[in-house]
Parts: sequence; C-alpha cells; structure tokens
Amino acid sequence: MNLAHPTRKQPDLHGEPLLAIENLHVHYGGIEALKGVSLHVDAGEIVALVGANGAGKSTTLKAIARLVSSSGTLRYAARDLTSLNAEAAALAGISLGPEGRAIFPTLTVRENLELGAYGHRDASAMKETEADVVALFPRLGERMQQSGQTLSGGEQQMLAIGRALMARPSLLLLDEPSLGIAPKLTELIFEAISTIAKSGMTILLVEQNTRVALSASARAYVLRAGENALEGSSEDLAKRDDVRAAYLGG
Amino acid sequence: MKSARGLLVALAIALLADFTLDRVIPDSSVRQLAMLACCNMVVALSLNVINGMAGQFSIGHAGFLALGAYVAAIVASHVHLALGGGDVTFARSLIVVPASLALAALVAGAFGFLVGLPSLRLRGDYLAIVTLGFAEIVRLVIATARAGDQTWLAKLGGQTGYAGAEDAGIPLYAGPFWIIGITVLAIVVAWRLKMSGWGRSIRALREDEIAAAAVGVDPTRAKVTAFVVSAAGGGIAGGMLAIMRDGTPIVQPDSFGFQATFDAVTMVILGGSGSVSGAVVGSLIITLSVKAIELLQATDAVQALKASYESLDLNALRMMIYAALLVTLMILRPDGIFGEREIRLFSRAKRDRADSTRA
Ligand SMILES: Nc1ncnc2c1ncn2[C@@H]1O[C@H](COP(=O)(O)OP(=O)(O)O)[C@@H](O)[C@H]1O
Ligand SMILES: [Mg+2]
Repeated sequence: MNLAHPTRKQPDLHGEPLLAIENLHVHYGGIEALKGVSLHVDAGEIVALVGANGAGKSTTLKAIARLVSSSGTLRYAARDLTSLNAEAAALAGISLGPEGRAIFPTLTVRENLELGAYGHRDASAMKETEADVVALFPRLGERMQQSGQTLSGGEQQMLAIGRALMARPSLLLLDEPSLGIAPKLTELIFEAISTIAKSGMTILLVEQNTRVALSASARAYVLRAGENALEGSSEDLAKRDDVRAAYLGG
Repeated sequence: MKSARGLLVALAIALLADFTLDRVIPDSSVRQLAMLACCNMVVALSLNVINGMAGQFSIGHAGFLALGAYVAAIVASHVHLALGGGDVTFARSLIVVPASLALAALVAGAFGFLVGLPSLRLRGDYLAIVTLGFAEIVRLVIATARAGDQTWLAKLGGQTGYAGAEDAGIPLYAGPFWIIGITVLAIVVAWRLKMSGWGRSIRALREDEIAAAAVGVDPTRAKVTAFVVSAAGGGIAGGMLAIMRDGTPIVQPDSFGFQATFDAVTMVILGGSGSVSGAVVGSLIITLSVKAIELLQATDAVQALKASYESLDLNALRMMIYAALLVTLMILRPDGIFGEREIRLFSRAKRDRADSTRA
C-alpha cells in the first residue's frame, strides 16, 4: 500500500523520535487522569501501550490527537504539538482510530472513509488511498453504499482503521482495535495492522488484550493509574507472567 | 456537467413561465399556490440544514423568514422608487430581485451567526428554547412598534404590517422565473451541500463529535456555518414570500409566528430529516394540505355551518390532521417518508454503484 502523502512532506526529524512525550499530565475537571506519562515512538516503529481499564491509555492517545488539553512535553515530528488543535494535528499527519470504533453510523461506508481524508483537497490521491484501504479490508469494498451502522462490530473496526488511514498519516494511533470483537475477526484485524506496519507506518497501539498487543509490537509501555509502570521489548514483557498479574488487572 | 445542463433547461422553462403562466393558469389563486409551494420548498430545504444535516433542533426558523421578508420588502420598495416607480417589469426585476434577496440572505445570515453561537454549548431542548426565543423577539419587536413613533422601526407598520414605502404596497417583482429558478437552484445547492465535504462533516459531527474532531473537522466552525447557511436560506425564502408575484403586497408579523416555524419543522420531519428529497416532498404535502383546508372552508356547506356556529375554524382541523399524520408516520416510518435517503436522480449515485460492484 501507498503511504506517502501527496502534499505533506516527510517530517525532518533531526535525530528526534517521531513522537516524544515527557511528563504528560491531563486533568478531567478535578480528576488527574495522567500523572506524568513519558514515552517515545521512533519513525517506523510499532509500539504498544497496555494497562488495566482506567490506566489512562485512551487519554494519552486523545492528548496526542489534541482532543484533550494537556501539560508537559509533547513533541511530534521535531516540533511542539501542544500549540496545535485537533484539526491541525490531523492535518499534520496524526490519525486516531478512536476507542469503541466511533464510526458515523448513518453515513455510508464510503462517506465514512472520505471523511478520513477531510481537509485533503487531492481527489485522485483520495481515490488511490481508498483503493488501498479496500485492498486491505475487502469486506469494506463490498459494502461501500451501506450505512456504517449496518456493519458488524469487526467490520466497523475495519472501517475505523480504514478511515484513519485515509488521511495517509505519519503516525497512526489505534485505541483497542480488538475491543468487543470475535477472536476470528481480531486475528484478521491484527493481520491488517501488521501489513500496515510493514509498509513503514509508525503505529502507537493501545490494547487491553496484552497477548495480542505484545505479539504485534516491538516495544511496549505499561501504564498503571496514569503513570508509567514498565517498559521494554514486547518479547521480554510477554515472557514475564508477573506483568499480567501485577499491572494488567488479571 | 449533466446537472448543469439540467439547470439551464429548468431556468429556460422558468423564463418561459414568467411570460406565459398568466395564460396557462388563468386562476391567480392556483398560480399563487404553485409559487407558495416553491417558497415553502426553500423554507424546508434551508431548515433541513440545521434540523436534518446538523442534527440540531431549531424551532426559530420563522425568525429568519421574517427578517428576510421585511428586508426584501423594504429593499424592493425603495429600489422600485429609485427606479422611478411605475410598472413592475421583467427587466427591472433583474435588478430588484437579486438586490432584495441578497440583502435578505445577508441580514438573516448575520442573525444566524448570532443564534448559532449558543449552539456551541447548548443542545436539544435548550437550544430549541434559544431559537424559539429569537423568533419571538423578532416578531414582537416588529409587531409592537407603534405607528406614531418616529423610530425607523415604526416604519415597519407594527401589527398592521409593512406595505411598501409610502404605503403603496410592496412591488411584487419575483415572477415565476425567479421563484421557480431560485427553487430549482436551492434544490441543487442543497443537494450539493449535503454531498460535499462540508455536508459530510456536519453530518459526521451530528453522529460523533470526538470522532469528527479526530478526522480534522472543526466543530465550532462547522456548527456556526450550518446555522449561517440555514438562516441565509431562510432569509431568501422569506424574501421570496414577500415579493412573489400573485402574493399579497404586504408583510405582517403574524405570518411569522410559531405556526410558521411549526409548519417548517413538520415539512422537514414528514419528509425525513436530512433528506433533500424529503424536504421537497414534505413541503409539497404541507402546502397542499393548507390549501385543501382553505378550499374546504370556503365550500357552501361549511359556510352554512359557520353561519350557525360562529367560532367554527377549520384551521384548527389542520392541526388535528397534522397530528394524526405525524403520529401515523412516526409509527410506520419513524424517520420520515425518506429517512435520510434521497431519490437518486443524479449521475453520481449510478457511478457509485458501478464502482462498488467493480470493487
Ligand atoms: N471524559 C472524562 N471525564 C472524566 N473522567 C474521565 C474521562 N475520560 C476518562 N476519564 C477518567 O480518566 C482515567 C483514564 O481513563 P482512560 O484514559 O479512558 O483509561 P483507559 O483507556 O486506559 O481505560 C479514568 O479514571 C477515567 O475514569
Ligand atoms: Mg480506553
């Protein structure tokens, strides 16, 4: 698949990681959801972010996509991200496949996908990307005129990922792609994710399904109660039984 | 480009109608009904942007109609005078109508911006109350300006209405060419808006604000522009009503009470919120039902009844018919006649289908 965006330049990183977060704090009213999270993702890497329910995984992704305001260092493509709003972050190449596959239910599959390329003017490039997405998820191609709500849960997740890909992002954020989906479809979706990763995409993958997430990623961070708990190579973390027991809520 | 050709054909037909409609349809009340149906389509199409596409609930559309009607009436009257008064001619309408309706759209659109701002924070019932309040303020401000006052507001004629500069009656410049032409244009614009990137973005926003923001839709801008577009369209519709040929040469505040909003909302809901085809069909049904009851009201039998029961008013019957119609519809088709679907006339639909079978 073709990832190069027609007009957005490949970021010049000057040796920095594509995404660098340090001491990130997020408050929801009086609740402190993130209490100084740090992580980085190098260009071309696939990194997993795991942790129990409520650990702050989704909040971290929302902060990166600028859907919640945050304090602390947030750098993307060697520049400050905190000054951008969600619209600018999306245009700068950050794409989020939101939690609970938040697709647009009454819009058609095609409309959902085309919204992923919102703000991009190049119609022929959009058609090309759409073809790439359909090649990745043939089930979507068969259902282009159906409304999003008529898709099965797994298909909706495919649509959410496909929509995120439509912007030809530089950084793909995926929030629990396996949530509430039959194991067979989860397998299919993770195959697609590894296809996307192989094409050179940088991915930050949030999952509660630790086994799947660790096997799909090279490195991983474990969050607990809004703070970093562990980090390391996914292979190592997968071998340690205590990780699951201690940090992942079972 | 097929639709561009279609548009030209429609405009040619409208032009022809402008000069021949009087002979084709000699009964002026029938002509008036046809023109009214067109105006109502624009009313419904414009309200559909807010209540259908953007998924907000405005019950203040009459306010935008009123602004548009008064502005268009004033502009038309004064431009007419500036041109030296006299006959209403087609050549002059080429100046008067665009000027009146453009200003009507501008003023209504500006108020749409103001009313749209609360929509950023309010939803559902609360926003509905704001819009209703706005419409009532517009109507009451116009209605309560007293005739003796020296303010410019008093020139609007208060409760009796505005009948043109020097009370000579509003010059009714918008003949069938304008009314039909603008209606066709409004349908095309509404269709294109819905299918455009902007249309998709406000429909997406209606369904999931976070997800829409994540793909780069700016919720603030999208919501406010939806209000401005809807209000400007309402302004044009109000202007059309005020200066349409075969209409009445006076605009009155009472034409823009809650009933007018209610009719508009019914048109949209009946047809199917969010559907352009629905707005067209819904407005036709409502326009015709109003007329049907008027005709019924005028029959000898009803007039005879009225002689013995003075308070008899079949307009009350209209509300009962609407209620029954709406309740039945909500049971059988809770999303309106069309839902959000469309009658597919345009080429894009066919192309889409061809695409998807190939894929
Ligand atoms: N919109 C919100 N308002 C208030 N609190 C929230 C909101 N979203 C998340 N939280 C709280 O922030 C914490 C982290 O949530 P989240 O990032 O969704 O965790 P995770 O994705 O790891 O399950 C939780 O305690 C959650 O209750
Ligand atoms: Mg979460």
